[in-house]
Amino acid sequence: MRQRSSKAVLDLDRRGLMLAVISGTVSLRTLARESASNDIVLLRDLYNKDLSFSDRALSSEGKRLSVTGYMAPPLKAESRFFVLTKRPMAVCPFCESDADWPDDILAVYTKRIVKVLPYNAKMTVNGVLQLGGVKDAENGFYSKVRLTEATYRRGA
Amino acid sequence: MMKIVHAAIAVALSSTSASAQDLPQQQNPWFTDAQSELQQRLLRTPNTNRAKNIILLVADGNGVGTNLATRIWQGQQNGMLGEENVLSYEAFPHLALSKTYNTNAQTPDSSGTATAMMAGIKTKAGVVGVNDTVARGDCQAAEAGKVSSIVDIVADAGKSVGIVSTARITHATPASAYAFSADRNYEDDSQLPEGCTAPDIASQLFDRLESGVIDVVLGGGRRHFLPDDVIDDENKTGRRTDGRNLIEEAATLGARYVWNDETFAALDLSAGEPILGLFESSHMKYEFDRTGEPSLAEMVMAAITVLQNDEDGFFLQVEAGRVDHANHDGNLHRTVTDGVAFHEAVAKAVELTNTEDTLIIATADHEHAIAFNGYCGRGNPITGLCYGIDNAGTTHTGVPELADDGLPYTVVGYLNGAGSVIKQEAIDETSHAIERLHAAGQEMSGVNVASADDGNMDDTWKITFAGQVAAAREELAKTETGDDAELAEGEGLWIGSRTALTQEEATDPDYIQQALIPRSSETHSGEDVAIYAQGPWAHLFDGTVEQNFIFHVMHHAATVE
Ligand SMILES: [Zn+2]
Repeated sequence: MRQRSSKAVLDLDRRGLMLAVISGTVSLRTLARESASNDIVLLRDLYNKDLSFSDRALSSEGKRLSVTGYMAPPLKAESRFFVLTKRPMAVCPFCESDADWPDDILAVYTKRIVKVLPYNAKMTVNGVLQLGGVKDAENGFYSKVRLTEATYRRGA
Repeated sequence: MMKIVHAAIAVALSSTSASAQDLPQQQNPWFTDAQSELQQRLLRTPNTNRAKNIILLVADGNGVGTNLATRIWQGQQNGMLGEENVLSYEAFPHLALSKTYNTNAQTPDSSGTATAMMAGIKTKAGVVGVNDTVARGDCQAAEAGKVSSIVDIVADAGKSVGIVSTARITHATPASAYAFSADRNYEDDSQLPEGCTAPDIASQLFDRLESGVIDVVLGGGRRHFLPDDVIDDENKTGRRTDGRNLIEEAATLGARYVWNDETFAALDLSAGEPILGLFESSHMKYEFDRTGEPSLAEMVMAAITVLQNDEDGFFLQVEAGRVDHANHDGNLHRTVTDGVAFHEAVAKAVELTNTEDTLIIATADHEHAIAFNGYCGRGNPITGLCYGIDNAGTTHTGVPELADDGLPYTVVGYLNGAGSVIKQEAIDETSHAIERLHAAGQEMSGVNVASADDGNMDDTWKITFAGQVAAAREELAKTETGDDAELAEGEGLWIGSRTALTQEEATDPDYIQQALIPRSSETHSGEDVAIYAQGPWAHLFDGTVEQNFIFHVMHHAATVE
């Protein structure tokens, strides 16, 4: 009886260890990928507090860079467009009739048809930074800043 | 305030029976502080004056748990360990617990709860200013179920009225002051269902401005006052489809309109009402992100300064509307920073009024699915990892507590929300995940066999693990062969485990606290919230009460002979 319970405890410990190894494997892989690509910036690094473009954004205009964030649920299936947000888009079904975009978002124009990632999975987008207000001729989406010819992957 | 308390300590100790008994702990500061608190309370007499002014301040979504996080955060921002901190309203002498459920909902929403506070009756979730006979969305039934709010009562007594919110001024809590609606979402006419002839919420606010019931309006929600072909000062379009420009109409009534921090600062507060301030197209910004807009405390200051010109007194409803939204985001940093903005707004209301003639109530409409882990040491950064308790000292050890998965965790988490450790994997991702799991498992078994002193246990573990993989594969096979029609293409399993977490990540202002159940928006909860009160008849707040009792105390305080 006593032996059994100590086994159960050890079992739990083993399991914990194994999960740690799994997450360790993942983060090692992520690290390897990161060092291969260029610098990763946070979405908020593109804006100053007053929502004007940061020096970082201005100096990166027209260049390729990687930005981390979350994929907002796409407006339309089978498109080459999605919106990257700083935090997952949360819409309280009780409190709101529709979703309001935050001010500090990034419009992403992808090389391939978008494969939707879970709304709560951190992701990294690599693309060419474009600044200045543009209204998308196709879907009418107005963006102040974009990444074009973008590729993306899950993880930060 | 603090000075008075300290000065009272010396007097207090000499006159109590406890000190006369000569206890070994009687010089301990915890002991002497509590003695002084006792003396303060013995001197209390109920304030039975008629309330000239009433200020109801609601921090949306700030239940007892959320409030604890803000208390500790604000203390730590001021160099304290945090737990000992006292927020402005926590110093109020009277307190009750409020039961927040709606008539048809254990988990309440803000419009049902706001109607309870403002009109004195509980009603259904999602409706505003109507009784429980009205089903949410039943536009035609709303008129018959209409109720009066405290605003109608005090306006009839000649008092001025102000409404302030960091949410849209047409949102649930402020709407409960002036509107009736079968659905809280009917914020402008474009949101009314086909054939609905009831007035939208923004137009009802305008009507109250026009009739002189409401004098000061400060908040967000500009889009609900503008036609959909009008672009506002911040380049956002209106939403109204009836062509009405309620901002221009208000101006023709003599209302002074302001829309940003500069026009707000330029207001001559001695020039009277009405004042209409709409600082955002939708909600105002979180305090942490605030730019170009006044703070909640600044809006409260402006509102009270204007309303105090009325010799008959005033009623002011103030909402910190975005504590709720940050909780919905699972982002504790903005929750507590908006919580501090609420604390500062209450402090401003206290500073500008007299407790002899002003009833101030600070409360929340409902709590969230927020929870606190243990066992964390004293002074543990409230947004950060849970550090151990120092058995020999006071402050936490700085060493993260580890869960059974070997990983650290934050003090605060959510039962559900976007921070869920469970994520949906696309089908091919799922198979990758399983491969990964399998590979890791083999690797792990190898390690175990080599190092374990009990071979049987490893077998047990391997069997368990193999079982899990088999079950996952079975589930996966179903989705691939289309056996399970409910799983649409591209959908996969919801799986996950916690990942490593550093203090730097956890205390980042954009960090989303870990949650269990995946939901894009974290939910409200039905837990109690506190009602803090000072001023005339505040002593009636005592024990555990139904939320709609708040109206009855305000009503009594305002009308008592
Ligand atoms: Zn809410």
